[in-house]
Amino acid sequence: MKPPADRGSLALGAYVYAVLAFIIVPLVIVIPMSFSQNDYLAFPPSGFTLKWYSEYFDSRQWRAATWLSVQVALLTALCASVIGTAATYAMIRGRSRLVTAFQILLIGPIIVPHIALAVGLYLFFQTIGLSGTIPGFVLAHTVLTLPFVVFTMAAALAKVDANLEAAAMSCGATRFQAFRLVTLPLVLPSLASSALFAFIISFDEPVVSFFLSGVRQKTLPRRMFEDIEQNLTPVIPAIATLLIVLSILILLGAHVLRSRSVTR
Amino acid sequence: MTEARRSHFWHSDGRRLSGLSTLLLLLPFFAIIAFVFVYPILQLLVISILEPHPTLENYARVVENPVHMRVLMRTLWTATLVTALSVVLGFPVAYYMSRAKGTVAALVAVCVILPLWSSVLVRTAAWSFLFQRNGLINSALMALGLTSQPFKLLYTQSAVVIAMTHVLLPFMILPIYGALRSIPDDYGRAAAVLGATRLRTFLEVILPLSLPGVVSGSLLVFLTALGFFITPALLGSPQEMMISTLVSKQIREVLDWPFAAALVGVLTVFVTLLAIIFSKTLRFDRLMGNAS
Amino acid sequence: MNIASATQSASGASIRISRLEKRFGAVSAVDGVDIDIAAGEFIALLGPSGSGKTTILMSVAGFEFPTSGSIHVDSEDVTYVPSNRRNLGMVFQNYTLFPHMSILDNVAFPLKMRGLRAAERHARAEAALATVRLAGYGHRRPNELSGGQQQRVALARAIVYQPRVLLMDEPLSALDKNLREDMQLEIKRLHAELGITVIFVTHDQSEALTMADRIAVLKDGKIQQIGPARQLYERPTNLFTAGFIGEMNFVGVTVESVGDNVSVTLPWGETWRLPATAAVEPVAAGEAAVLAVRPERLQLGAGSGGQVITVTLSDIVYAGAALLLIGRLPDGTEMRARIPGASQLCALAPGDVASFTVPVEAMLLYRGSRR
Ligand SMILES: Nc1ncnc2c1ncn2[C@@H]1O[C@H](COP(=O)(O)OP(=O)(O)OP(=O)(O)O)[C@@H](O)[C@H]1O
Ligand SMILES: [Mg+2]
Repeated sequence: MKPPADRGSLALGAYVYAVLAFIIVPLVIVIPMSFSQNDYLAFPPSGFTLKWYSEYFDSRQWRAATWLSVQVALLTALCASVIGTAATYAMIRGRSRLVTAFQILLIGPIIVPHIALAVGLYLFFQTIGLSGTIPGFVLAHTVLTLPFVVFTMAAALAKVDANLEAAAMSCGATRFQAFRLVTLPLVLPSLASSALFAFIISFDEPVVSFFLSGVRQKTLPRRMFEDIEQNLTPVIPAIATLLIVLSILILLGAHVLRSRSVTR
Repeated sequence: MTEARRSHFWHSDGRRLSGLSTLLLLLPFFAIIAFVFVYPILQLLVISILEPHPTLENYARVVENPVHMRVLMRTLWTATLVTALSVVLGFPVAYYMSRAKGTVAALVAVCVILPLWSSVLVRTAAWSFLFQRNGLINSALMALGLTSQPFKLLYTQSAVVIAMTHVLLPFMILPIYGALRSIPDDYGRAAAVLGATRLRTFLEVILPLSLPGVVSGSLLVFLTALGFFITPALLGSPQEMMISTLVSKQIREVLDWPFAAALVGVLTVFVTLLAIIFSKTLRFDRLMGNAS
Repeated sequence: MNIASATQSASGASIRISRLEKRFGAVSAVDGVDIDIAAGEFIALLGPSGSGKTTILMSVAGFEFPTSGSIHVDSEDVTYVPSNRRNLGMVFQNYTLFPHMSILDNVAFPLKMRGLRAAERHARAEAALATVRLAGYGHRRPNELSGGQQQRVALARAIVYQPRVLLMDEPLSALDKNLREDMQLEIKRLHAELGITVIFVTHDQSEALTMADRIAVLKDGKIQQIGPARQLYERPTNLFTAGFIGEMNFVGVTVESVGDNVSVTLPWGETWRLPATAAVEPVAAGEAAVLAVRPERLQLGAGSGGQVITVTLSDIVYAGAALLLIGRLPDGTEMRARIPGASQLCALAPGDVASFTVPVEAMLLYRGSRR
């Protein structure tokens, strides 16, 4: 007697792989297209060229947009991870009724549609002259990325025994020394990975950037949006490929950090 | 304030921070949220009812004008359709993922998580390549002899629904996966040994126990879909706007701020109410907890 | 189920496990196991962690298909029959009551799967709850019950459809000690009332010894010994079982000659003559062997009918019903003795040298050497 063939599992597997193809094919399809010699984006791609990449790297406009996005994303990662970690630490170790308010406000930027925040900020920042400025972008993106930092840090800090700090303080450390010498090293990998996620969210953020960008100060997503909307040149697959590679690097980085972490 | 409470405000006790330090650490968070989130949204809501003079006229325009009403209904319908499609496509993937082990599990996880962390613009652009007259889909259909003329796919509502489902699918899969993972294998075994077929085991045990994940994922997808901007703006038809594209048009072309604010108000209030009603089942942390 | 077995449903089924083998990659979880279980028998699978107990049970239940070998229930080959068609009862370690159903619906679940009408299945579920003395708890939710009560519900759910075999994988290990003893009695009582065949996995040997008709001792996926508790305890067939079940003293010896008697040389040079029946396994002259004796078989003082040993005492432990004496033989081997009725022995102190008599019939001889 042989084990019976498991048709149910086979059917489930086939369905699942079809859905996974639906998820992943549109993403990887841009990679061969970015090397195609066709000037218009026809399928199948033909030939091999790097000219779309050099067009991207040689264009002053694309470079400016990319540089702006890099600056904004770096500053956002810094602000969000510092503010988010401080707040999360207060939430977990603190004593205050503000903690409840904190938890409610935290969900806000996730729930409220980005278009609503974008329009609100567009109006507000124009009146105070922050529209199209680096501080303006950074403030907006910090709000959008804070919840992700807090979730990551809350998970990490919850795993650090509060008694560790009490022990350090009983050895004569101040509260700040206890945090810096005991807790911080334990949650550092999570802190770094939350900064990575804040970076990529900001770098790829399209909606708020769309409304806050000025005529000259345009982030990379905003430039891409215009390009896709107006003429859809083959530079887009090249940039898309680079962005996918960046996402892969960020996820790999987060994965490495997580496997290093003591407080997994 | 009692003596003990007062001293807790000024002093920490080893395990807990003092009230003062708690306050100082939370201050930057509250400042930025108040300044960059709460104030701008409130300002819009105020404009929507105070300009040009205290009135509900702007809201009346949303519901009384059949064109605008159609935009609202289309938005609701699209979000519903995207949510339903995501459940149908996402649940089996989540289920498979929760049972898979080793390399297969890692492969499936990468397929779900990589898109989540790659740019929405990249994914939308990819669909606009696929949907073009001479894109992959039309080329494939013609090569297979299924059609002699390319279909018009780009700038249709179907394109918007398909691409939005693609973009939002991970938000459905991850919460369901989280719920399924927390069901011990023994429940399925117990049902089987008690006489349930695999279908009954699924319907009577696995599905009810994973329902919180389904509800949470559906809300997340539905709420996000309602305010989705990039995909409808790039793949949709200008004749078939969604609420977000209508808002954008009011601001960038018509410059009708009070009306745009009212549209944003309708969207924000509706979304917030839904979130409050279902606040118990929404589990946002699931999205990050398993992110890598 | 055919008609013949349905009419017998009050009694248990026989089970035959033959040459069962299960590999996970390179790991051999079960390695050629044969067990014949009579109808209505209560059998325990006992062994250290990772010895393959769960894997055997999972194969019987139909959750694992074996790499080779077969499983018959009442002469029907069920090796590859899906678990939902095997009609077995099973109780899991962590209760596994469905948390979204009431207690009554949990117990009625298998009846629902068998297409019974609501009224009848509720009546039968109530009756099953009554057999585990939980009548009236039906409307509650699983999380409103204590661990012991939940496990009784799981038991009710496993017997409500009158399966002829009940499988249990460490069903009591999540309970605390007192509850565990209550549940042991409960399970024994149900077994006696229903006449059901039971396979009970445990790594608690006293549980296995008190509950089971026969015990199968496993190690590394292989059966070491199968037998009733008394046989396992009094004449373990190999060194592993001898060391695994209960307490045992071991002394390494050398076999001098084998015949009507076996003579062995002890580490300190003395030579003892043992009856041939002492050799549990065949031994050969000139080879190393191990002499084993239970601590409670040692008698304090030099007497007749056995060999006398002298032990330098290191610890004297008052253990309630008996006194535990721990000391060393002349070569340094540790020796333990349990002496009942201990009050008159209080004169002994650590450092004293005491003599013990080892009755001839208490000695067991095994091939090989300890470590
Ligand atoms: N699904 C599996 N994949 C790989 N190896 C497995 C699997 N299940 C069991 N094993 C291995 O098979 C061996 C036997 O496992 P099994 O669970 O049957 O032991 P056990 O006697 O029930 O132990 P315990 O007392 O710890 O429950 C172990 O070495 C285990 O690591
Ligand atoms: Mg086990």
